[in-house]
Amino acid sequence: MYQSPAERTVNCPLEPVADNKEGSHTKFEMFHLMPYRELPEDFDEKYRSVWVDIPSHLFKADRAHSMYNDTLDELEYGAAMGYDGICVNEHHQNAYGFMPSPNIMAAALARRTKDVALVVLGNSIALYNPPIRVAEEFAMLDCISGGRLVAGFPVGSSSDTNFGYGMNPATLRDRYYEAEDLIMKAWSNPDVFSFDGTYTQLRYVNIWPRPLQEPHPPIWIPGGGSIETWGWCVEKGYLYAYLSYSGFKRGKMVMDGFWNKAESLGSDMNPYQAGFLQLVAVGESEGEVQDRYGAHGEYFYNKMLHVYPGFSDAPGYRTLDTVKAGLLGQTTQFGQRPAALTFKDLREAGNIVAGTPDQVTEQLEQVIKDLRIGHMMVLNQFGSIPHDTAMHNIKLTTETVLPKLRHLWSDYEDKWWIKPMSAPQGPGPMYTPQLVAAK
Amino acid sequence: MNTTTVSVRGGAFSTECIEAGSGSPLLLLHGWNGVIPDTMIEGLARTHRVIAPLIPGYGNSTGDEHLNDFVDLIYWGLDFMDAAGLKNVPIVAHSLGAMLAAELAAAQPDRISKLVLIAPFGLWNEQHPVVDFFVESPAGLAAAMYANPSSDAAQAAASVPQDDAGRVAFYYERAKSLRIAAKYLWPIPNRGLARRSHRISAPTLLVWGEQDRICPPALASDFQAAIKNTSIAIIPGAGHLPGAEQPQALLSVINGFLA
Repeated sequence: MYQSPAERTVNCPLEPVADNKEGSHTKFEMFHLMPYRELPEDFDEKYRSVWVDIPSHLFKADRAHSMYNDTLDELEYGAAMGYDGICVNEHHQNAYGFMPSPNIMAAALARRTKDVALVVLGNSIALYNPPIRVAEEFAMLDCISGGRLVAGFPVGSSSDTNFGYGMNPATLRDRYYEAEDLIMKAWSNPDVFSFDGTYTQLRYVNIWPRPLQEPHPPIWIPGGGSIETWGWCVEKGYLYAYLSYSGFKRGKMVMDGFWNKAESLGSDMNPYQAGFLQLVAVGESEGEVQDRYGAHGEYFYNKMLHVYPGFSDAPGYRTLDTVKAGLLGQTTQFGQRPAALTFKDLREAGNIVAGTPDQVTEQLEQVIKDLRIGHMMVLNQFGSIPHDTAMHNIKLTTETVLPKLRHLWSDYEDKWWIKPMSAPQGPGPMYTPQLVAAK
Repeated sequence: MNTTTVSVRGGAFSTECIEAGSGSPLLLLHGWNGVIPDTMIEGLARTHRVIAPLIPGYGNSTGDEHLNDFVDLIYWGLDFMDAAGLKNVPIVAHSLGAMLAAELAAAQPDRISKLVLIAPFGLWNEQHPVVDFFVESPAGLAAAMYANPSSDAAQAAASVPQDDAGRVAFYYERAKSLRIAAKYLWPIPNRGLARRSHRISAPTLLVWGEQDRICPPALASDFQAAIKNTSIAIIPGAGHLPGAEQPQALLSVINGFLA
């Protein structure tokens, strides 16, 4: 039954910290994939892929209604509990994360949150024709939110871009670089200009609105481990975020690759230029952790990542240098599909950081330091975690873990953070219509 | 049979080219897998000087970075013919190469004397779709490509090295050639040939392996409707690669048509 929203006060465990040169702190951004939580038990035995050709009869719109609203509630709660940012992202034709338009989610969140960064991670810019659509929508979000947008520009997964949207894998990256060039010009060029690209031609580029943040919102690049992206991010001065579920070991390999490249290019090795995604589950006791989260972690790894290998890596999606470096996608290689993973396996491999507050704090501190990251994206809802459990996990994470980790990297300046307006306008009152009595 | 390098468009492309035989020239274009069986080259070389270039990006042919789409590839083809001095030649071509050959014959009909299109791509029929071979596993692909999946050739095509270095090398080679094929065939192998095929004047032989499970033989009637002067040959006991599975039968119908 629909209930109009009531105001509710929460006790935010995290003191506001001024973010300037003297007071940068490690940021935590609550990430939500919004998975379809109710796939059948035998999904991975019966169907070949959670992406691209997943049968549509498994989708129930009335259940999606709840899942969308739960997701927005969870992100709003995370914001109120002191997460520095809340993250949404884009995927297509799948049950792994069904926000084809993260901008719609971000627009809803912009109206019911304040202060928190809206991290849209991001829009797959090569998919939009013309790509200035992204420049416009991101500028809208930045204006509506009073300068709280973080603009993410992913290439997009192969399943999304090459299969879901039919983009040619051989030219996708070239198209991506051209789209980035066009969007940045649209944001920074004060004059009407023409753009004669290989993939997009525009006689008049003159977007309205333009972003509120000057010169533009922070640019974050979510990478999947393509080695070319490392040097490109360093040279462009963009944040590199490695979004992987493959655990700490692969994360370390990829982030070392990024930092080695950064060092070779003379970077000042600022940890705030790097981000990493981690699944996190906090419980009061060992027993609670297993009982509350175990099955949901297994659901995530065994169902949400159940991607047919042929849809993982269209030929040309990864550059030949990346293939040569052996950095194939985890699900790329035929015949390499792993056996079903248990929650215990996933904890031991570091895929999921789960435990009591002290255990989780210790492990996350190690990840933050070893991977040299100033931005940690946290998945508190993953797999089939139901709404109540997700809220509990957000509460424990923000109350018992994050306060002990924010001080890290305080000797560096975060140059990849939002610059909101000092006195933004919030939403007006919610109107409740009452029927005028009949005369 | 020897391998040469042809400089195309003032050196922008260095094209690896297999040549064999003597007599009047014949242009042989490989398919999406980039393989031309030696038996085919040798068989055709008995009556022709065979010129078999590798499309940029395949083998040691360079210049792929100058080609953005299929139209660019057609112009590479015309430039190659200029560079190789080919004026009035028959073309024998497979799948992707056949799609290119049909376009060359539509662009410059006077230059192509005869066309042999083996399992050609280029037309789309929803009732008989070309299989999405890009998503097949090596084993699944081999099973689809060969009429006899238990043959030595099919078994060899299905096997992936087990050691790390071997596997990375295998996927590297696979990515290298399939990436080029994808540029011209993704996501659907249709770049508008039906709007141009009316210009083809060369007598055209359409050849299909009877058990082609990649490019359905039912497409033959669509090609027959799209091109003026065609005949059809079906090769029994062959799948998508009749040149590998039934080379003698294939050579026999080609030689009969070219004679």
